[in-house]
Amino acid sequence: MLVATDLVKRYGEIQALDGFTLSVAAGEIVGLLGHNGAGKTTFVEIVSHLIRPDGGRVTIDGKPPAAVRGQVGVAPQHIALYPSATVREHLELYGRLSGLRRAALRSAIEDLAAVLRLTELMDRRTGKLSGGQQRRAQAATALVHRPGLLLLDEPTAGADLETRQAMLDVVKQRAGEGAAVVYTTHYLPELTELQATIAVARDGRVIARGSYEELAKDLPGEVRVTLEGEEELRISTSDPAATLIDLLHHAKRPISSVDVRNPSLDDLYRSLAVHDAP
Amino acid sequence: MLLDAPRPGLGVLGSVHRIAALARLNLLLRLRDPGQMISYVAMPMVLMLVLRPLYVRALDAGATQVATGLMVMFSVFAISLAGNAILSERTWRTWDRLRVSRAPAAELLIGKTLPLFVVMVAQQSILLVYGCLAIGLPVPPNPAIVLMSIVIWAFALLAIGAALATIVRSHGELSVISDVGALTLSSLGGALVPLSLMPEWAQVAAPASPGYWALTMMQSAVAGDVAGTLRPAAVLLAIGVMAGAFAARRLARGWGRGGLM
Repeated sequence: MLVATDLVKRYGEIQALDGFTLSVAAGEIVGLLGHNGAGKTTFVEIVSHLIRPDGGRVTIDGKPPAAVRGQVGVAPQHIALYPSATVREHLELYGRLSGLRRAALRSAIEDLAAVLRLTELMDRRTGKLSGGQQRRAQAATALVHRPGLLLLDEPTAGADLETRQAMLDVVKQRAGEGAAVVYTTHYLPELTELQATIAVARDGRVIARGSYEELAKDLPGEVRVTLEGEEELRISTSDPAATLIDLLHHAKRPISSVDVRNPSLDDLYRSLAVHDAP
Repeated sequence: MLLDAPRPGLGVLGSVHRIAALARLNLLLRLRDPGQMISYVAMPMVLMLVLRPLYVRALDAGATQVATGLMVMFSVFAISLAGNAILSERTWRTWDRLRVSRAPAAELLIGKTLPLFVVMVAQQSILLVYGCLAIGLPVPPNPAIVLMSIVIWAFALLAIGAALATIVRSHGELSVISDVGALTLSSLGGALVPLSLMPEWAQVAAPASPGYWALTMMQSAVAGDVAGTLRPAAVLLAIGVMAGAFAARRLARGWGRGGLM
């Protein structure tokens, strides 16, 4: 289990983390949402042991990040590949650095290539790949050693549909096998598809954490009713279904169309991270 | 539990495997971009050939001066090979990816520089053999001491190049520093003109240049003077250890990241 408690990190005048607390259990996917500068990448870098926090504590299965180097899979936000090396050479490097050898390495690479739809690209240099293909190759380098903790920092930023779907498939697969996943993204529907626990970061701290249902229960949905004569009513309500039934019972004019909109993940995100933002 | 995966390859064997994996990839990268490497072998060969008559006519040991002097000068240019290889890790953002791996900083540095070390040893060896075959450099009576000198000089150059890479902000800056530095330090060390012919101030300043110690070491080694080789070798070894320690410390801390540069 990953447990981060009260993390603090400052870069000069910038307070990157200010009491950042988050835990992720085995098999859980936590979707970390937040604006640029909310502290998501700094959190990932601290857990990866790339930087040290000024305060607070991180443990992975009770050990500090320094003690579990190489057992965490990290796909950073920016592409970090050797342009003149092939996809296969990258996977061989990171697999070997993690202790994989011969048949085990070959098997891990072939399996991953199939899941991430990289099989046809294995012997191409990464500098010659499209942005989406590079994203998949980069994710593969983070996954090749089957880490128990996955830190994926905006792994689908700028990616095409094929890449996005491949990424979501592999994340679900690895979580299903027991890996804990931290998945930062701006693409909110991805978190719905991943059935992720949602954590919203703002100003260097996590301001909300829970399932979509838990976090959205107090958010208003919307009922739109078009009455005969093109008159449209929009009603904001915490219980769209009950409001609609009530309307249908009491409407004095014929209704030509209805549209019920439950609160979306975007609404949740906006209400938590945007509305009160300074 | 998240960390229940088998973790083979710990200990010395694991360390060897990781260094080998890094060295293999870096050798591939080097072989796929050989231009700089070839030019640092070809250019001194041409210059040796062109300048040989002048040096032989002007100096008693003219062939030795032109062969060892240009070998030292162009091996200093090769600092940029080491610097660029390490700086590229930052440009490509790959160094942080490696830091997240199981390999500690020392392994990363060794794996990264081992192929460069082989390239530098090969460059110097080729130039010395060429010197013997085409320029008239006397065949060294003690090849072992020559090889030791080449190895020590290559180590010092690599360490200086690595340290330089962790200080500069761009490839352009590295190129300027390594080119100007190579010319200045090797000239000051007597690579172009023997020290005895240089102005007095330059003779006094020469020991400040690693090129001076390299040239002294190489010329002593070629002459078979073991005692004369050891002192400059020790100086270069010390320079290499200090520069290497500096580079390793910077690299371990993820040089160039926020707050660390």
